[in-house]
Parts: sequence; C-alpha cells; structure tokens
Amino acid sequence: MFKPTASFPWLLAHEIKLLWRGSILLRTSKYVLVPVIAVSIIFQAIALLIVKYLQTQTLPLPVLILIANINLIFLSGLMLSRAMTSAIDVLYARGDADFLLASPIKPIRILAVRMIGVAASVAAPWLLLAAALANALAFFGNWQALAAYIIIPMVAVLVTAIAFLSVVSLVASIGPAKARLVSHGIALFIGVFIFALGQAPHYIAPANLRALWLAFMPNADNINAAIWLPARAFLGEFIPATLFCAVCMLVFWLVLLTRARQFADGTISAAAYGSGPARRRANAAFRRTPFAATMLKNLRLLLRFPGLVTQTVYRSLTLVPVTMILTGHFAIGTGPGVVIPLLVFLAGQLALFFISIIIGGEQSPDLLASAPVAQQTGRRAAYAAAAYACLIVMALPIIGVVFRESQMLPMLLAAIMGSILSNLMLGQRFPIPLLRPAFGKTQTGTVFSLILGVSASSLWACLAWLAVTIHPLATL
Amino acid sequence: MSFSHQNAEPFIGLAQAPTRNNPHENSALTVRGLCKSFAKPIINNLDLTIAPGEIYALLGPNGAGKTTTLRMIAGLLKPDSGSIEVFGVDVLTAPRAAKAMMAWLPDEPLLYDKLSALEYLEFVAGLWQVEPATAAARAENLLETFGLWPHRHERCEGFSRGMKQKTVLAGALIHTPKLFILDEPLTGLDAAAAKLVKSILTQCAADGAAIIITTHILEVAERLASRIGILSGGNLLAQGSFAELQAAAGQHENASLEDVFLHLTTRADV
Ligand SMILES: Nc1ncnc2c1ncn2[C@@H]1O[C@H](COP(=O)(O)OP(=O)(O)OP(=O)(O)O)[C@@H](O)[C@H]1O
Ligand SMILES: [Mg+2]
Repeated sequence: MFKPTASFPWLLAHEIKLLWRGSILLRTSKYVLVPVIAVSIIFQAIALLIVKYLQTQTLPLPVLILIANINLIFLSGLMLSRAMTSAIDVLYARGDADFLLASPIKPIRILAVRMIGVAASVAAPWLLLAAALANALAFFGNWQALAAYIIIPMVAVLVTAIAFLSVVSLVASIGPAKARLVSHGIALFIGVFIFALGQAPHYIAPANLRALWLAFMPNADNINAAIWLPARAFLGEFIPATLFCAVCMLVFWLVLLTRARQFADGTISAAAYGSGPARRRANAAFRRTPFAATMLKNLRLLLRFPGLVTQTVYRSLTLVPVTMILTGHFAIGTGPGVVIPLLVFLAGQLALFFISIIIGGEQSPDLLASAPVAQQTGRRAAYAAAAYACLIVMALPIIGVVFRESQMLPMLLAAIMGSILSNLMLGQRFPIPLLRPAFGKTQTGTVFSLILGVSASSLWACLAWLAVTIHPLATL
Repeated sequence: MSFSHQNAEPFIGLAQAPTRNNPHENSALTVRGLCKSFAKPIINNLDLTIAPGEIYALLGPNGAGKTTTLRMIAGLLKPDSGSIEVFGVDVLTAPRAAKAMMAWLPDEPLLYDKLSALEYLEFVAGLWQVEPATAAARAENLLETFGLWPHRHERCEGFSRGMKQKTVLAGALIHTPKLFILDEPLTGLDAAAAKLVKSILTQCAADGAAIIITTHILEVAERLASRIGILSGGNLLAQGSFAELQAAAGQHENASLEDVFLHLTTRADV
C-alpha cells in the first residue's frame, strides 16, 4: 500500500522489516531456534544459581548504590565504545542511506530510525545477560530488579545519542576519512580505559583504591543528591527511574533535532569516501593453486575490514566485566583457573568474528562457483584464513602460558583448537552480521549466531576450566 | 592496440578434456532438452549448439530466461532435465573439467570492494590455475589494454560502473577460456571500450573460442554475432544468421534486427 507521506512509524517498520527479513528469517533455518532456546534456558539456570548463591547477605543501600554505579560505568563505557563503531558503520556503509536521503523523507526521520537501530543492537547483548539475572532476582523476591529491562535500553539510548553526536560532529568538522580514524581511536580508548579500571587493584594502592570507590558511594548527608539518581534508577526505585528515562529520551531527542541536517551532509560525504590509491606493493602475488589464491583473498578481506583492530580489542575487553560479574570480584586474578578458560573463550569469539568478516565480505560467491575448483575449497580456505588470523592474535598469550604454566600447554592448545573449530563451522553457516548490506543485497549474518557462538566458546572454556581445576594430568 | 590473444600456447583445460568418441565432439557447446522451472516453467526443452569460432547472440525480452540459461551452462544452476556439453565434456557430470574451459561473466559485475583490480586478477588466475609467471604477464597486458593500469592498485569500491565491467572482463580473459559465457558484457562501457571489447571478442573467436553473449543492444548482436537466437516463452523462437531471421520473420531485407525482434517476440506473446 502506498501512503502519501513517509511517516516515522512507516520508516521504522521498513527498517525493522529489513532487519528481520534480512538477518533472521531468510538466512537461517528455523532449527536454529532450538539451540538458541536451549542456550537461553541454560543461561537462566546459571543466573538462578548465581543469585541463589549471592542471596545469603543483604547489603545496605549505599553499598548497593556503589555496586550499581560501578556496573553503570562499565556498562555505559563499553556500550559507548560499541555505539561509536556502530555509528561509524551507519554513516559509512553506503547501504540504502543514499537512496533514502535522496527521497523526500525528512533526514530527521532517517536519523531517528538509524539511532534506534544502533541503540537496540548495543543494548541487546547486555539486556540478554541482565535479563537472566533480573529474572532470577525477581524469582527470589526482588521485583525491582526487573527495572533492568527498561534502564538498560535507556542507557543504550543515551549512549547512542552521545555516540552519534560525536561522530556526526567529527565528520562535519574534520571530514570523513579522519573522522573514522578518530572515532575508532576514541572507541578503542574507552574500551582500554574501562579495562584499566578493572585492573586497578593491580597498580593502585588499596587505600587510594578505597578512596576511589568511595567517591562512587553516597554517605548519610548526600544520599538524596541527584548524582545518585541513575544508580537508584538502576536499582529499580520508581521516581529516579522515571526521571532517568525522561533525561535519556530528552538527550536523544535533542541530538536528533540538532544533528539531522549534519547527518544528511555527513552521510553523503562519507558515502563518497573511498580508500584512495594504495601506495604499497609493486609486485603482483599470483598463486598457483585455487586454495592459496582464495586464502590470500580471504586474508586481504580480513585485513581491510574497517575497525578490525578496534573490534578485536573490544571483543577481548568485553570479557573483563563479564568475568567480574560472574566471579564477584572487581579485579581479575591471573591464575590458570581464570586465564586459561578466558583464552579459550576469546579464541572462539575471535574465530567467529574473523570467519564472519570473510563470509560477509564474500561478494561474488558465483565467481568461485564458476571456477574449476572442488566444492569444499572455498569453505576450507575460509576456515584456514580465519584460523590463521586467530592463531596470530592468540600467539602472544599462548607463549605467556608456555612460560608460566608449560604443563598446561597441550590442554590449552586442544581446547583452543576445539573452540576455534566449532566457531568456524558455526560462523561459516551462520555468520554474525557485521556490516549493513549494500542496498538491494541481503544481509549476511544473523544475531542468533552471536548467542550460539558464545555458548560454543563457553562450553570449551568450561571444559578447559574443568581440566585446569581437576588437574587430570596431576593424577596420572 | 597492445592486446594480443595468446593462442600460441595451449588453452588451459584442453589437455584435460577427454577425447571421447562423441557425436558433438567438434561443437563447443551442445545443449539438449534443457528444462528449468522456478515457480513456473522458465526454460522448456531448449536445444542449442554452438561451434568453435562462433559468436552466438542470445536475445529475448526481459525475464525470458537468458540469464537462467547462461547460469545453467556455466554450471551454477542445476537444470531440471536435459544435458549440457562443453567441448564434449558434460557440465553436469564433470563440472570441474568443463568449468576449466569456460569463463562466465554475470549480468552485474561482481567484484570485491576491498580488493584492487590487480588483486582481483590474481584471485581469478589462481582459481583457474594459471601459471604465475604467465598470469602476471597477461594481467599486465590486460590492464594496459583496458586502460586500468594506472588504477591497478586502487580498490574496486571506488571504480565506476564501466571500470568494474572492464575489470571482470579482464578476469574472464586472463585464463584464456575456450567458451565465453557473457551476460550483457557491454553494459556501462563507453563507445571506445565497447569497440575494444567487440574487437577482442572477434579476435578470440577467430582464434577458435566460442562465445555466447546476451545483449539488449540489438545493433551489437547484428554486427558482432555470426548467429542470433531469440528466446521467448521458454524456447528459441528463431535462430540463424541475421538474413535468415529476416526471412523467417517474413520481413524484407532492409528490415532492422529491431523490426525482426519485435515482430517475432510480440507475435509470440499474443
Ligand atoms: N532464483 C530464482 N528464483 C525464482 N525465479 C527466478 C530465479 N531466477 C530467475 N527467475 C525467474 O526466471 C525468469 C527468467 O529470468 P532471467 O533472469 O533468466 O531473465 P533474463 O532473460 O535474463 O531477463 P533480463 O533481460 O531482464 O536480464 C524470470 O521470470 C525470473 O523471475
Ligand atoms: Mg538477464
């Protein structure tokens, strides 16, 4: 049905329809839902166990506010880092933005829909994690915990508004090429900063550290001050939560109102942004076998993925707060019981990420299909390139393990291999969505594989953890 | 013109082609009883034979099934029934040996945004197992011919439509195929480039390659093709040289191919 004007709900419905059709329904079989549901149930069960374990002590309000604050800082820092890279994607991916902007639809509507999309994608993984915990808390009588369902999306809305504000302003002031560099840099810096904060106990004296944490904790005099409102909202108090939501929406709306015009300019100039002539390499690198040629092509696609470094570092850092939540410590130990499962998990996550870049960047599968090569060559070359990249990143930590816990090496290598392989097989079939598809092309990738990838990597990490803690080698 | 088609060296794949005692042995492409349906029948019992050295233009209205036919010949799409042989090699049972002799050019240039023109050629040459030294020499030659040499290190994402088309054409030529399957190869090319491509194709045909080409520019078909087939309603309405088509359509000899085409295809539709 054709409507005379492109209303905002119409555009939003269009965006959701594209996302849903492209990334979820068409690209996957419905059987993917079965493991996804299974994983969700397992997550929920783990959350119930954790909450049951933590239920034993009741904490005073100031301490609760401190915990909420620390969580908020980590959460919003990582979300901001993520939102910045997503905002760059939205501004730089040619997609259908050019098409929409060339239409008589107001730029503000397009920007609004894009920002909501980014907010949703930023909130989704955390909401998944928080929902399991919130459900569990509610199950044991803490109904306020369900506030997370509203507060986390609101934090995402706020953070997305800030990310767009900075990226659009950067594009307008220093041009698209530099803006991409600077934005990735900022995103990386935020991630590293949050990581450093998590490691604070290693290099800050305990007394100073206490002072630092106390700054985030209210005392009897100022407990009603406005600065504690976000934390109180997070804890599920009604009035603070309402106020917090109102502020987040207001900021979002203001960014939208003031930046729509710049968004239009930014997208158009960003869309015109090319890589420019490459300067290096005089000699051609012709390969004799199809496998070698395909592998080389894959490695090139991988290396040229915009934001490869940031996203790799980001993926490594995201583990830190998750482990902190799961272990209940603010600083991570460096014992093998923690480090080895983490490495196994990270290897799996990187494998999924790398293979998704390669599969997502496969723009002309028909070329390979029309070539005189065995059917499995393409798949094998994709596995090989992704695994190779993974092992390069993992080499340093693995060498570290060799020096400190060399007897763990065979077990570590086996678990890493298992984790990499299962994620490669998963990602080859269901890559995670990384880039907005070009206009008229279907999205490669599905959000479900994020969940499946996490569970496959966790499984191997669990096995590694069991192997480390039970020490089967010691009993032999 | 610096381009030279290296017909001095053996074609890749020629050595692998089994020299069975085959009735179609000296035809480049033999299609028999080809059928394909999607939601409804698209290709219905199509027969097609192309001899080496021949340029065959497949014409037809939008949606007639030209692209579908070419994809089946290239081994990208399984036909429902029928047989396809390329220089005596069955595409369905020995796809790799057949593909080694073919180059397929899709209707829209599929490249890799993140690869440069030269890197794309490296990839294609590797897929067809062209000897690296030979491939490097040919790549240089082709890039020069198409005027892409100054852009060889630039990524294809920044290329114009015509530059992309030239890059994929260079990719098709780098492994010196014996059968070219070209889906609208002249789209986006400027007059000079189109002329160049036409002369390259004529040269390849003179060297013994067979070429099947679809186009909507009837003038190209009229000038370039030695035989023309008009596909509509799942089968060939008519085929033959331009003069034969004129006669078949009952048109006088001054009639253009456009007149013949419209006469044949509209008659079939009603
Ligand atoms: N993958 C597919 N699934 C379903 N139907 C298809 C598919 N590919 C092609 N068709 C249908 O087959 C018919 C022929 O399509 P084809 O692309 O071969 O036409 P064409 O002759 O190349 O047209 P054009 O001149 O526009 O390039 C069309 O009706 C199209 O809808
Ligand atoms: Mg077509």
